[in-house]
Amino acid sequence: MGDIVQIYNDYKDHADFLTIYIREAHPLDEWRMRSNEKDKDDVCYVQPRNLGQRVAIANDFTRRLKFTVPFGIDEMNNAAEGAYAAWPERLYILDESGRVSYKGGNGPFKYDPKEVRAWLAQRYGEVKHPEPAPEKKS
Amino acid sequence: MIRILLWIAIFFGGLVILAYVGLSILAGGPRDAIGMLRFALPHMHLGKLRVGDSAPDAQLVALDGTTRFHIRERNIGRPLVLVFGSFT
Repeated sequence: MGDIVQIYNDYKDHADFLTIYIREAHPLDEWRMRSNEKDKDDVCYVQPRNLGQRVAIANDFTRRLKFTVPFGIDEMNNAAEGAYAAWPERLYILDESGRVSYKGGNGPFKYDPKEVRAWLAQRYGEVKHPEPAPEKKS
Repeated sequence: MIRILLWIAIFFGGLVILAYVGLSILAGGPRDAIGMLRFALPHMHLGKLRVGDSAPDAQLVALDGTTRFHIRERNIGRPLVLVFGSFT
């Protein structure tokens, strides 16, 4: 999600952004991932059974990751997820007339924020970041 | 005849084992391969939406857990980048 935050910071003056929080991809009671258990932040939840639980995890997500991108949570009928075939993660760009202008692939393998950046760069110009300075050897 | 059936069974058994090994590598482990088959594949869709289609609307809930708004309300006059995902 770090790439998305960077893109948001680079292009928020030109485009709107909306994160849509959907069903958990790897909850403990379904397809749990060892990487989540090993994660230093211990990202382990069961699949929410009601909206309150989903909202609580979403709040935990924004708080822990200091996530600043505008945020909405899918209802428990998973209407947004279904309409956009968005599980487990996906990116879209809608143009000013409300039409799909970019449709990304399903994550994790085809989830590519670079394509979103390229779309925005083509319209609004590229935003370059200085290369990180190489670490000094002691 | 029995011998032919045996070879067919061995062939298809080998295919299943190969597919399981491949899926295990792709998913990250044997347990994850089962998780992928059981939980990921039924929910992972290409979707019917295409570039140029009118974007579907849906109601969302704000982080306060009570305020409702629609995707369409955020798509006025400027492009809207939608980022779908979850914590896990």
